[in-house]
Amino acid sequence: MDDYLVTVLSNIGMISFIALSCYLLFLIGEISFGQQAFFAISAYTSGMATAMWGWPLWIGLLWGGGIAAIAAALLGVMTFRLHSMYFSIATLAFAEMIRLWFVIITYQIEIEGEMVGPDGAEGFRGIRWVFENNVTPLQYMGIIWGILIAVLIFFLLLERSRLGSIFRMLGEDGLLTEMQGLNVVRYRILASTFAGFIAGLGGGLYAHFATYVEPQIFNVMLGVHGMAYGLIGGLGTALGPLIGVTLDIGFLESVRAIQGYRMIVFGGLVAILIIFMPRGILDEERVNRICLFWRRRFHAQD
Amino acid sequence: MLKVENLVTSYGMIEALKGVTLEVPQGKITALLGPNGAGKTTLMFTITGILKAKSGSIRFKGLELVGMPSAKIVQQGVVLVPENRLVFPKMNVLDNLRAGAYVHIGRDKAGVEADIKKMFERFPNLKERSKQLAGTFSGGEQQMLAIARALMARPQIFLMDEPSLGLAPLIVEEIFKIVKELNEDGITIFLVEQNAHKALKVAHQFYLLEQGQVTFKGIPGEMEEDEIIRRAYLGSSQGH
Amino acid sequence: MVDFIQNCIDGVMFGSSYALLAIGFTLIFGVMRRLNLSYGPSIMLGAFLGTYFYVQWDTGILTVAAVTIAGTILAGVYVERLCFRAIRQKATLASMVSSFVIWMQLEEFSIILLPERTYPFPALGSAYIFEIGPFFLRSEHLFMFLMASFLVIVFHFMLYRTRFGLMVRAISENPEAAKFIGIHINAVMFWAFVFVSAVGGVTGYLILSTDQQITPLFGLWATFKGLVAMMLGGMGSLPGAILGGLLLGVVEAQSLWYLGNDYKDLCAYFLLFLVLVLRPGGLLGKGLVEREDLAFRRV
Repeated sequence: MDDYLVTVLSNIGMISFIALSCYLLFLIGEISFGQQAFFAISAYTSGMATAMWGWPLWIGLLWGGGIAAIAAALLGVMTFRLHSMYFSIATLAFAEMIRLWFVIITYQIEIEGEMVGPDGAEGFRGIRWVFENNVTPLQYMGIIWGILIAVLIFFLLLERSRLGSIFRMLGEDGLLTEMQGLNVVRYRILASTFAGFIAGLGGGLYAHFATYVEPQIFNVMLGVHGMAYGLIGGLGTALGPLIGVTLDIGFLESVRAIQGYRMIVFGGLVAILIIFMPRGILDEERVNRICLFWRRRFHAQD
Repeated sequence: MLKVENLVTSYGMIEALKGVTLEVPQGKITALLGPNGAGKTTLMFTITGILKAKSGSIRFKGLELVGMPSAKIVQQGVVLVPENRLVFPKMNVLDNLRAGAYVHIGRDKAGVEADIKKMFERFPNLKERSKQLAGTFSGGEQQMLAIARALMARPQIFLMDEPSLGLAPLIVEEIFKIVKELNEDGITIFLVEQNAHKALKVAHQFYLLEQGQVTFKGIPGEMEEDEIIRRAYLGSSQGH
Repeated sequence: MVDFIQNCIDGVMFGSSYALLAIGFTLIFGVMRRLNLSYGPSIMLGAFLGTYFYVQWDTGILTVAAVTIAGTILAGVYVERLCFRAIRQKATLASMVSSFVIWMQLEEFSIILLPERTYPFPALGSAYIFEIGPFFLRSEHLFMFLMASFLVIVFHFMLYRTRFGLMVRAISENPEAAKFIGIHINAVMFWAFVFVSAVGGVTGYLILSTDQQITPLFGLWATFKGLVAMMLGGMGSLPGAILGGLLLGVVEAQSLWYLGNDYKDLCAYFLLFLVLVLRPGGLLGKGLVEREDLAFRRV
């Protein structure tokens, strides 16, 4: 497998984590412009864990994801009574605060004569666990996709579970959900936490992939892209966001002809799609129809 | 079973309920009539905790509901079928029914499935469309589904806000038939209705709510129906 | 103490332009119940066009201003057609997302037009510094403040003294009823957009001629400032937008002075977050959906 393909697939994998994180919040009916905050938090904290404290990658990723999850839970608690636009702007404000905080924060320790650690606007260099442990790009891609598939399985199980139904109910009609005797706030916070953890996994993986992160990377555009992928690919299934990511990074990125115009094409595509397919290509109705179709096929064969 | 005393609810500048006192006895059908804007829906929302009462008390089997979070109220067995939100449109019938059950028997899958089976026996036309998305249903079908879903929550007292609103006469017949059947099975029903005529046919007692206050309590048959209906639609200020 | 007051003065001066941006957001939100996140970028596109004229052909400041305003209007109409007109009334979030995405388009378009990182923007005239006691006042800031105040008055006049403004207000209060009494909603929305874009263009010109430079980050910057100011004061409230803008300006000036450049934006966002969490309606706002409205709304 050639290097370029490995890089592209790795990128698709890592960005999918943010897309899935936004997707989970779409399920409960909220648009978040701030999931990049958790991507960032985990990138930094997992980087600190492996580069500064010498932890192995797995524990570093879980650590980063865990911290991101806690931050997400806090955000969920603070925004529990905010809806739609207010919620979106609040997440935006939160994410920018986090990013600007990383511009200010400096925390470095000396390791073997070198200063290692986050250095404000200069970023955080030397997250070299992958290289120090001789993990090839191909193997790392495997790690990314292995974890991604685990997350997808989580979503698969979620769809069929009581919790998943409750999330969808929240997304459709929060007040009606409350009238069913369900504690809406608790489920919102739960969704926030899960979403934060998922974005965190992606952030940790990214930090070790790139070996270097800086606050600039975790800007609004990253979050908006993550959110847009779900809207393109469809909100009816967890595969939807993945389709969106593949379409952008796999397809648009690769087509040389539109190199300098990627934003224009991407932006135009999403805008037009929103008009005709407001919930993406694989929206709930389409997915429902596909499922019914397959089920009929099965029964017809009995 | 349900005792409301001097309930006051206001939002913004408007005092929608100005001290409502009424009682819903167990095992009976109680109807709440009144003109538009009288506060009937506000009362329903306040009982179920969707709106916060300013003062007064709502006692359900002795338990004080004022101040209790709405989710907890439903858990006590006080279930409302609202007038303006019937179903989860992007979910199918099965999921809508399960939604109603999650409050009590969420983890008891077998119990939920058994209840669903019973629900399909009572509402056969729901069974044929079990995998259809609820948003595609007609008004009457959505109302049936809403009632079925609320029943899945195993209510001890069943509040219904204008179940016949906007529906064709045949369906209205069916709905009131169901209301009667449910009551015969032992469920206490508190029914808000614009269709005073039909409501008085099934109710054991009724209240008249006008401008946020109870102005009349009666038993159907004791008084001229015309008089009641006139006040129910027009309010006492206009009729005599 | 002197510093504090000086910062307040600077803050109010600069905040007046934030207030203008916020008013633009508020008006669109009031009329359409949607957030136009492309407002900043459309102003930037207009300004980039103006800069293009300046850089290529060394045109005078009036031409640059005119091109800026025209460009902003063009971009605004584009956004209006694609993100707002084309999308059903109820799908307010879809419009917001769409406008966010078109932002990306406009930004890239601007970069294609002028690929360098930064360009000079013509100043309005030579700078002069007034001294009033221990306080300083820069002439270009004063000019911006005066122009901004003038534009606020223009806005007010438009809204409260013209028939067009009456229609705008009617639609804001109750779109259904407005339709019933014969108001052409689409036409009014279109012209509201044009008006808001025009004012946006002037605002952008004022800000940039004070700064004397323009970068591709301007779009994002302008959107954030306007948004933060609007939400501080309360969505849908015109006096709120003004208050929010001035407050934002003052908070920025103070945090810049006492905490340094790195903390300036952080404080602004923190303030916004605080207001949203504690008082979502904003300081003066009424845009927040109350539980009662939610409960009674027909679904």
